[in-house]
Amino acid sequence: MLAWVVAAASCVALVGAVLVLGRERRSVTALQDQLERQERAVASVESSTDPTTPEVEPAGGAELADRLRRAVDRLEHGVVIWDVDGSELYRNQAAASLAEARDGHVLVAAAVEELLVEAATGRHVRRVVELFGPPAESFVVAASPIAPGGGGAIAVVEDRSLQRRTETVRRDFVANISHELKTPIGALGLLAETIRDEPDPEIVERLAGRMIVEADRLSRTVDDLLELSRIEFGDDAEFGTVAVLSVVAEADSRISSAAEQADIRVRIEVEADVAVEGDQRQLVSAVFNLLDNAVKYSQAGSEVVVEAVDDRDDGVVRLYVTDHGVGVPRRDLDRIFERFSRVDRARSRETGGTGLGLAIVRHVASNHGGDVQVDSTEGVGSTFTLVLPRASVAAAGRGRFAPGVVAATGAAIEEFGIDEDGFDIVDPDANLLDGMEVER
Amino acid sequence: MALESLRNEFQEQLENLRSDLIRLGAMVSETIGRGTAALLDRDLHAAQVLIDGDDVIDDFCLGLEERCCQLLALQAPIAGDLRFVLTTLRLISELERSADLMVNVCKASRRIYDVEFGPQLRGLIEQMGVEAGFLIRAAIDSYVDADTSLAAALDDIDDRLDELQVNYVQAIFTRHSDEHLGLQGAVQLAMIGRYYERIGDHAVNIGERVMYMVTGWLPEHSGSARHRLRGLGAEDDAGPDPAGGPAGGSANDGGV
Repeated sequence: MLAWVVAAASCVALVGAVLVLGRERRSVTALQDQLERQERAVASVESSTDPTTPEVEPAGGAELADRLRRAVDRLEHGVVIWDVDGSELYRNQAAASLAEARDGHVLVAAAVEELLVEAATGRHVRRVVELFGPPAESFVVAASPIAPGGGGAIAVVEDRSLQRRTETVRRDFVANISHELKTPIGALGLLAETIRDEPDPEIVERLAGRMIVEADRLSRTVDDLLELSRIEFGDDAEFGTVAVLSVVAEADSRISSAAEQADIRVRIEVEADVAVEGDQRQLVSAVFNLLDNAVKYSQAGSEVVVEAVDDRDDGVVRLYVTDHGVGVPRRDLDRIFERFSRVDRARSRETGGTGLGLAIVRHVASNHGGDVQVDSTEGVGSTFTLVLPRASVAAAGRGRFAPGVVAATGAAIEEFGIDEDGFDIVDPDANLLDGMEVER
Repeated sequence: MALESLRNEFQEQLENLRSDLIRLGAMVSETIGRGTAALLDRDLHAAQVLIDGDDVIDDFCLGLEERCCQLLALQAPIAGDLRFVLTTLRLISELERSADLMVNVCKASRRIYDVEFGPQLRGLIEQMGVEAGFLIRAAIDSYVDADTSLAAALDDIDDRLDELQVNYVQAIFTRHSDEHLGLQGAVQLAMIGRYYERIGDHAVNIGERVMYMVTGWLPEHSGSARHRLRGLGAEDDAGPDPAGGPAGGSANDGGV
């Protein structure tokens, strides 16, 4: 048995060696061909021009230099090399584009020059250049002498923006989750301590009420975390054709009481035949969170508008949720979809949000191969856009439409069922559908 | 041969001047963004860093100015080259002044540390910062590309910033009358709006200087021609002088 294995192994080795030899031989032949060609070329140059033409460089050296240059040009890092006399020997494409820029990147190019001057004196130097932007960017420029004692210098520029961002997200997540969980737990501890020594039943009653509020808050945070992780894994998702109106209606029914309390009207402008490819439950969760967010940050008496646009050309459905609320500062715009990110910490206590809603929306969007975007001006309002893949025409209209509930805020709740033609209102009442466009 | 290399050296100096002015523009536009963020975030440290950083900009400007003067004295440039150096000289001071205005914003932000702006004013400040930064970048673009149409458009683009400032002042009045904003805070905020608006004016000035660089003509030339016509009587047919040298009188300065 062992002998067989050894024999087989040596066979393989032999075949391999032959193959290697063959390849070697081929490459040797190719090299010879090339050398011959070059000799011919040199000969022709010598015969056609006067003998004072500079010597042709050895082929290997020039070719190697050319390959190296092309390789370094491909690098994402910027590379600048200075000669012994301080003149520029080489600059790769990334570094060249830095120097040609007119925005903050020229400041990075300026830092490169400055560091090269220092490196040429024989010192290793490094600097972090933070650009405010927008977008905020972070570069690390490092320069070193090429030979000890300063024989030329090389500078390398590295774009650290993405790493910086990832680091910040991770750090903030840990800090935020600790804060979100600790705050209600701390409050519960304090309240329990007070209750223990409190003889007055009235005060005990009030404190117990506060404890319930804090416990609710804690359980909401944990629920949202669970929901988020479930959506992240996407285990129980059932993808199919889903009518956008049924999703919006279901989400709206969940938000209606909160909206009513805050005196905010939710206007739905979604055509009944707009359908997307997706998981009903996840989509409802996403739209609910968008509505929840819109209602929380709207001014009393204002209106939240939900619109769906069926973009046949791009094959997507765009769902817009627009509010007239406080808006989001520009610098926070790209971070609001992170877990526990908050524009205003003080306000989150008032609104009672868990800080996970928009993270859920983003995960639902990415699970569906879609996207979520936000456009906002502080003091004017925000528009969140959920982009989802539209259902194919054939599939639309006969999908697994769930019965939905429409609640125009301030009006009664009316149930309706949906048949194959779209929406069939069981008890049509024009007032109930005020502001809704239902195509029959 | 020697003359040619001298000429090349001169061209290289002009090119360096151009790239350093781009760098100055980038420094100023960074300052606008950072200053606005420092104001909105109540970041006193960032404000102080910017106030100190203005010395770096001033130093850079002095060095650039010195080089312009040397070029003028030693190379005696003519025609387009002369206008380029003169324009660069003017742009340095316009940009330097814009950076100073952001220092004023930072200093004001220290004085109103405890004032609550409210979302509407915050939004307007942010938009003014964006517009001001955009105007400076567009002005630099027009200079680098010698783009007269962009340079001429800067005045119209600046209207957006002016309009924002008008709304901003209105919003300050509203917030003051709602008793959310004290008189001192209101005055400081109003001045901040004015600083942004002035940055826009400097960008417009840059545009006018760029038009001069390319065409040799300044908007003020029309006015100066009118003035001369009035002074000399109608028989003198003096039109705008396209070969006019560096005209005195600052463009658009001290506007309301």
